[in-house]
Amino acid sequence: MPGEPAKRQKREEYKKALTSDEQNAALPKKKFYRQRAHANPFSDHALTYPKSPADMGWASLYPAYAVKNGEEGKAENESHDQTEEEQRRAKAIMKNVEIADIGCGFGGLLFALAPKFPDTLMLGMEIRISVTEYVVDKIRALRTQHASTSAYQNISCLRANTMKFLPNFFSKHQLSKIFLCFPDPHFKQRKHKARIVSYTLNSEYAFVLRPGGIVYTITDVQDLHEWMVEHFERHPSFERVGEEEQEADECVRVMKSETEEGKKVERNGGTKFVALYRRVEDPPWP
Amino acid sequence: MMLPYQCIIAACDRYEAGGNEWILFGVSGSRLVAQSSTGATSIWPAEEHPIEEPSPENEEQEPPEKRVKLSPPLEQKSNFSILRLSNDKKYLVAVTAEDKCIRVFRVDSEGRLQQLIQRCMTRRPCSIALTSDDSTVLCADKFGDVYALPLLPSPEDDQISTPPSEKIEQKKFVPSASLLTVHSGRNRKVLEEQMKQAEKGPSQSKETPKFKHDLLLGHVSMLTDIAYAAVDSRSYIITADRDEHIRISRGPPQAHIIEGFCYGHEEFVSRLCLTSSGRLVSGGGDAHLYVWDWSSYQLLETLPIRDTVLDYYRGHSQLALLLPQDTQAFKTAVCGIWTVPYGGSEGDEVLVACEGVPAIVSFKLGSSATIGTVLPLAGNALDVAFIYARGSSCTAVVSIDHLHRPGSTTEIREDEAMSRLQCFAYQQDGQWAEDGSIVEALEWFNRRAAGEPEAGSDGRAGGGDTVDEKATRDILYGMEKLRKRPGAED
Ligand SMILES: C[S@@+](CC[C@H](N)C(=O)[O-])C[C@H]1O[C@@H](n2cnc3c(N)ncnc32)[C@H](O)[C@@H]1O
Repeated sequence: MPGEPAKRQKREEYKKALTSDEQNAALPKKKFYRQRAHANPFSDHALTYPKSPADMGWASLYPAYAVKNGEEGKAENESHDQTEEEQRRAKAIMKNVEIADIGCGFGGLLFALAPKFPDTLMLGMEIRISVTEYVVDKIRALRTQHASTSAYQNISCLRANTMKFLPNFFSKHQLSKIFLCFPDPHFKQRKHKARIVSYTLNSEYAFVLRPGGIVYTITDVQDLHEWMVEHFERHPSFERVGEEEQEADECVRVMKSETEEGKKVERNGGTKFVALYRRVEDPPWP
Repeated sequence: MMLPYQCIIAACDRYEAGGNEWILFGVSGSRLVAQSSTGATSIWPAEEHPIEEPSPENEEQEPPEKRVKLSPPLEQKSNFSILRLSNDKKYLVAVTAEDKCIRVFRVDSEGRLQQLIQRCMTRRPCSIALTSDDSTVLCADKFGDVYALPLLPSPEDDQISTPPSEKIEQKKFVPSASLLTVHSGRNRKVLEEQMKQAEKGPSQSKETPKFKHDLLLGHVSMLTDIAYAAVDSRSYIITADRDEHIRISRGPPQAHIIEGFCYGHEEFVSRLCLTSSGRLVSGGGDAHLYVWDWSSYQLLETLPIRDTVLDYYRGHSQLALLLPQDTQAFKTAVCGIWTVPYGGSEGDEVLVACEGVPAIVSFKLGSSATIGTVLPLAGNALDVAFIYARGSSCTAVVSIDHLHRPGSTTEIREDEAMSRLQCFAYQQDGQWAEDGSIVEALEWFNRRAAGEPEAGSDGRAGGGDTVDEKATRDILYGMEKLRKRPGAED
């Protein structure tokens, strides 16, 4: 919802200029990407999402990891139309995404984690379209700036409503970490189903997380913190990570200090509530 | 004028099991009707069948919903939307839409109905299923959640007032945010309201049900159908939603564990059907039905429902007129899939209905047929029930919409009122042939039941002389509404 026409035009011109070659390495300016704070997770939106994780075109998001099409036997031995299998291979990457930042906002966490886990693919997922564009533009700029070291090739961002479509992107047990940083609080009681943490949604996080994987939560809203704690603790697939282990975790420090919201809370002198949950093994099934 | 039967279902013994007794149940607007093969008939609600109260052991501890049961049944004005029979055929579970109530009826051998309990949910149930031991009703709702309710609550269950899931939500009346929280203008307003509210004490705006109902799982999408399957010692819950998902979860008590998804649909999924041999057939807004080996999430085959219907329309001048200029734009919305229960060596066969289509389509699975077989109907197909009317032959009873023009969900037909049922008997050669004799046997059910006492002002859809067109449409049709419109908000 990019506001009145003049503003919209300015934004479009800005973004066009940004993506034209000579300026490619310039970092995007946030003011051109601001968007109303709340998107309705229940509405249909004009979203694109893969039919299944196998249909996801990861190669365009992580080009440095794209599987190069097998030049060898690729001749004319089969028909011209690509088989489904071939199409899939063309979209494939050499390793799977392992870390998801759900509701990544302007991407502060991703940019801070990128150099810390240089060999791990990370994905920011954000429902707001312009905010996603900002992160995508910034990643492109950083990749250009760091072309010699190939830094920032391991992070990417896409627009998604994760509350509906998380299992369309990730297969069972694919992820090792999920970040839920400063989720929208949805204060009103009747909007609680819009919260990104709930007993029933936790089953989806458990599905895409491997046993031993961790969900990271942080918020400055005490009520939301307590809500998340209760809903995770009630869910048999999760156990709370102990305080000591939590504080020793490098990602906790990053999530407190590098997220945009974390910084805002810092400035306001607010409190940050952190809780981590480990996904446990599924119990035996008779 | 009477309403069509929006749902029908039959209790029927297989012929091996010693006979061909059956009871056919149907719902027409807000009434539930039954006729048995012995000729017995009954209608619910009816004045002459006051609800008998199972005497409570302890008057003092009488839980609230027992009082609800005492309200005169004629007050019931909600229209039925779902009918299920318990596996032992002793109970009929029905859902009424407007009041969101799950009702359990005891069925006697004559098909007489006695409502034992009604439980009103907070969200409208979209589909229900029973566990194979008949102990539990699984209710899938419009908000995407699945709840488990005991079919018949035990006295202990009645003591449980609020399930833990809702306790969490109700516990706090402290404001959600502190003044140090980062605020948008809107949030600040909510916070101020909450502070005011906190002074006044808890708001009891939304009553949470007082009966036992456990939250098992949920999607962030409208659920459209639910199925329960038991394979060896394991049980599963299969759920379908408007966002193309088919989810396989473990059965209770491990229903929080998602085992996997059957990926492939590109439009809403509206119906799930487990076949006699244990396959899953799913359908919805897509041009094909999908057949799954669901325990391994593998797609086995697709069945061209849209093209079959399109072909049929093209071959009938009246229906061909209804086709859009560009037949690419012709779409079907599956509103029913039924597995044909001959359970013999013939292999799986399903019957399929699409919303607003005056036909039933039959597909034999695994036959790699490029097109289905069409059973033409005189009105749009609404529901199918199977009975073994004579000896070995299986009969499909089809309820049809006799109010709207065939092929239309909006235009009222002008010709004379016709039958609300059509029957097809399964033939030796594997085909279905229309069988008028069963319709005759169902004369009471078909024409008279629920036809007479339609007092004009009782507020029921279909009461009186004029049918409330909009209300009728809402009762009969709702699938096409599930389709997403392009260009939805950002
Ligand atoms: C308060 S912001 C936090 C941003 C970032 N994580 C941080 O800590 O700075 C919450 C973000 O979650 C996004 N969001 C909310 N619901 C979402 C959903 N269903 N799917 C994806 N993103 C969502 C919002 O658009 C918003 O950008």
